[in-house]
Amino acid sequence: MISAYVTLGILLLGLALWRQRQPEPGHRRIAAGGWRQMRPLLVRIPIALIAGSFLAMLVPRELVATSLGDGSGLQGILLATVLGAVMPGGPMITFPIALALISAGTGTAQMVTLITAWSVLALHRVIAFELPALGWRLTGIRLLACLILAPIAGLLTMLLAAARA
Amino acid sequence: MAGKSGHRPAPSGPPLLDGSTVFFVLLALGAGLAVFLLQGADAFHTALTDGLGLLLLILPIVVTAVLVGAYVQAMVPRAVMERWLGGSSGLRGLFLATAAGSLTPGGPFAAFPLVLALYRSGAAIPVCVTYLTSWSVLGINRALVWELPLLGTEFTLTRLLVSLPLPLIAGLLTRLLMRHLARSTR
Repeated sequence: MISAYVTLGILLLGLALWRQRQPEPGHRRIAAGGWRQMRPLLVRIPIALIAGSFLAMLVPRELVATSLGDGSGLQGILLATVLGAVMPGGPMITFPIALALISAGTGTAQMVTLITAWSVLALHRVIAFELPALGWRLTGIRLLACLILAPIAGLLTMLLAAARA
Repeated sequence: MAGKSGHRPAPSGPPLLDGSTVFFVLLALGAGLAVFLLQGADAFHTALTDGLGLLLLILPIVVTAVLVGAYVQAMVPRAVMERWLGGSSGLRGLFLATAAGSLTPGGPFAAFPLVLALYRSGAAIPVCVTYLTSWSVLGINRALVWELPLLGTEFTLTRLLVSLPLPLIAGLLTRLLMRHLARSTR
């Protein structure tokens, strides 16, 4: 948690200093733009967190630990890919569920896989935004090219963990 | 603030209360009720105080993260990104598309119109796929606002690190797929 504060503090300071060396746009205007994006989050994040902590209580821990835990290996990665692809909704729904799944024992590689699958495949987003905007051909090619990305991310995470150990 | 901003036309960006928010309010109520009924008042109370405690810790992070996003948006305007994406579909083009995707803030209502505009103005499909993949796996805004506070710095950095090659892989695979498609339809 502290590292998150420090990371963001340094990022913000760096950006503000960089802005200081340019003529445009003013800090005040940037902050106003930030506030516009902040308003819906002030509603969403509290609701998401509270729902997440209730869900964490309801998740069947043993089932999660055996099917998605560190020991679940490649099978867990494939399951995480499927779960991530069909998980409905935006970050407000996914991240609290992810938090609940991590506290129930989901392994890092499996969670990276799940979030990546949700990010690139997101079937709800494909239906709601992508197909209407981009059409079947472009969407189909993109989905085909992205099918293996989530397992790749999971396997890379495993390699990284093995290299560190 | 309610009186003054209530009359202004809706600002760009997501509405305050949309369908998914309402759905999640219902989900929170349902999950809370289930915890109360299945595990008793004590468990309900613990979950609620845990959630509120986490909220207090996270709010300053979210505020800072949104400000960081606002600075990035202001310093790298859309016009610059469009120029990055209009270039070649070679490796250089794919790298620029990766950078543009990770800097594009906001949800699908921001990214898809941009891709559509690019596609119509002749950007190569591998570039579009790389951009969309980067926006979805490397998007800095989402990582800072949601992932960093909820899942922690180490997890977020690990995930971003292993995701670095993914947009490039997707772009190259798209090129292969399209070559294959072109051959099979000939």
